[in-house]
Amino acid sequence: MALSSLFAPLPLPLPKLPYTSKSSRFVPIRTSAAAAAATASPSFDLRRYWTSLIAEVEGELDAAMPIRPPESIHSAMRHAVLPGAGKEGAAKRAPPVLCVAACELLGAPRAAALPTAAALEMLHAASLVHDDLPCFDAAPTRRGRPSTHAAYGTDMAVLAGDALFPLAYTHVISRTPSPNPVSHAVLLRVLAELARTVGSTGMAAGQFLDLAGATALGEREVMQVLTKKFGEMAECSAACGAMLAGAGPDEEASLRRYGRTIGVLYELVDDIRSASGNGKMRSNASVLRSLGMDRALGIVEELKAQAKAEADRFADKYGERVLPLYSFVDYAVERGFELQDAAAKP
Amino acid sequence: MAAFHPLVASRVHLSPLLPAAAGPAAAVAAGLSFHRRRFSAIVAAATAPTATEFDFKAYMGERAVAVNQALDAAIPAGEPPAALHDAMRYALLAGGKRVRPALCLASCVVVGGREAWAMAPAAAVEMVHTMSLVHDDLPCMDDDDLRRGKPTCHVVYGEPIAVLAGDALLSLSFGHMASMDSYPPDVDPEKHPARVVRGIGELARCIGSEGLVAGQVVDLEMTGSTETVPLDRLEYIHLHKTAALLEASVVIGAIIGGGSDEQIERLRKYARSIGLLFQVVDDILDVTKSSEELGKTAGKDLASDKTTYPKLLGLEKSREFAEKLLCDAKEQLADFDKEKAAPLLYLANYIAYRQN
Repeated sequence: MALSSLFAPLPLPLPKLPYTSKSSRFVPIRTSAAAAAATASPSFDLRRYWTSLIAEVEGELDAAMPIRPPESIHSAMRHAVLPGAGKEGAAKRAPPVLCVAACELLGAPRAAALPTAAALEMLHAASLVHDDLPCFDAAPTRRGRPSTHAAYGTDMAVLAGDALFPLAYTHVISRTPSPNPVSHAVLLRVLAELARTVGSTGMAAGQFLDLAGATALGEREVMQVLTKKFGEMAECSAACGAMLAGAGPDEEASLRRYGRTIGVLYELVDDIRSASGNGKMRSNASVLRSLGMDRALGIVEELKAQAKAEADRFADKYGERVLPLYSFVDYAVERGFELQDAAAKP
Repeated sequence: MAAFHPLVASRVHLSPLLPAAAGPAAAVAAGLSFHRRRFSAIVAAATAPTATEFDFKAYMGERAVAVNQALDAAIPAGEPPAALHDAMRYALLAGGKRVRPALCLASCVVVGGREAWAMAPAAAVEMVHTMSLVHDDLPCMDDDDLRRGKPTCHVVYGEPIAVLAGDALLSLSFGHMASMDSYPPDVDPEKHPARVVRGIGELARCIGSEGLVAGQVVDLEMTGSTETVPLDRLEYIHLHKTAALLEASVVIGAIIGGGSDEQIERLRKYARSIGLLFQVVDDILDVTKSSEELGKTAGKDLASDKTTYPKLLGLEKSREFAEKLLCDAKEQLADFDKEKAAPLLYLANYIAYRQN
């Protein structure tokens, strides 16, 4: 089943790809040396790379949100973004890691991407805070502790989200090394990309479609919700990393496709794992109900192949620096390790 | 923009406060008593200055049309999800005087920029303003069913869509401002990107947890408390809740227009004064006007036992304070080209003398 679906037409997992270049969306897996090395290579330890980045990103986030007056709002914002004492409520920080990895792939310093990486988490948290509100999902908990509205009240949660959006832009502007090496023009492209991604045609569209019950409809709708809610955030992460590193149009386009694919892949695997009782609990069981387990597993294989094909494009030019990209794909599918004990809890 | 004669413009500057309409009372008044009378001119009926030299009404009308066009064009029409975009348009294109965009455009011109350079930021500040109203009206916040005589966004589209529409408007404001496609081709290619980055920084700071949101938070914390809010706290709320976005509008306009740091700071002071003035006048109107005259429920502040300037200072002292703020604002405009500063001068007068 999984194999045969590789040859079936793509289920439109990625509707409306902005840059569908020469090679069709359907790139057969190229067995390059780098790809083979990826799974076995001792030279790259994704877990270590990821864990160290979580610490760096959280350092940025912590410094960007000191408790100052009015204390209540700043404390609510910190609750939404940062883990508590003892790392309760810890998050995997996948968008920032993808952003930094894309930037480093192209040979630019990590410092160019870190502020944007932290901003991605602020935007992500802002949309989660609003998504958890009583009028939406009415989620009493998030990452194993009270959601922001449960802890601070609904009014404060609305305002905390409203304040996290602008903080993200402030952070990018004040902390990105600009105009050197990141020019103002590039900085503006990054800001526009962030805003578009969380806006009415991006994540907000995904939340809206989810709200409208699109996941109960069919494969097309399910994939659209996954793409809008999760694919676009990952695409934005990779694209911002690329821009900040001064990528050319082809490299940026390729990293966009890679990001979008891996974002959907990651989420779909999450849903499969939760449906089969082996991952964290999620309420998106309707995704699986709509697709059916067989089809879902088929799409996972297709997305995996697509993501690796995009990574392959960089293998010849960048050698070992492409290894993180391959490793993410494998991790997204296999979840070979736990990042933090707390992050893995429901 | 309507050109006008420099001589006329200088008269605008010389006869700022006491409008001709104050008539006989002003004519007989002299010296200190004249000065004294000016205080009560603010928000006293029928003393609003009649715009003669500079046609303020036409100016605002033209800007509102241009801004509405820019707002209409900025929403990705035709792209799904339609209902979300409908909700954004419903809130954004519901009319309104477009005071914030007008301030942004005028301050771009006053420092020597072209008005068209500031149209995207002007649209952006209106999007932010609209977004703050949409979220403010939510049941968990102020719980208002009506805004400008129309059902509020959440009443028409439901609460979740109202939350999302607000978030999407906020994102759109930054995206619109950051995108180079939003600007005319004659901007300085060397300096413009840096100006836009700085402008976005101002916008983000003025509306975040140390700006607009801070004002809303402190206001929320005061509501429900039976204690009278002290004056400094009241000022904090207004400086953040209202003045911050006016400040952003003016400062961004000046940055995009290529103003010097000194000019930008002067205009910032101007904006803070008229921002506070806006609220003081609002409070005065609430106790002096009927619902009919206001177009909204009058006496609401009294009924809800809200702390206001008249409650803390008394009506006459509130008017004096308003007068002082108006003078402070005008002082900041003194060194600018008089012709170009006329819209800002009249905007300040408008805020001081409006009747609703």
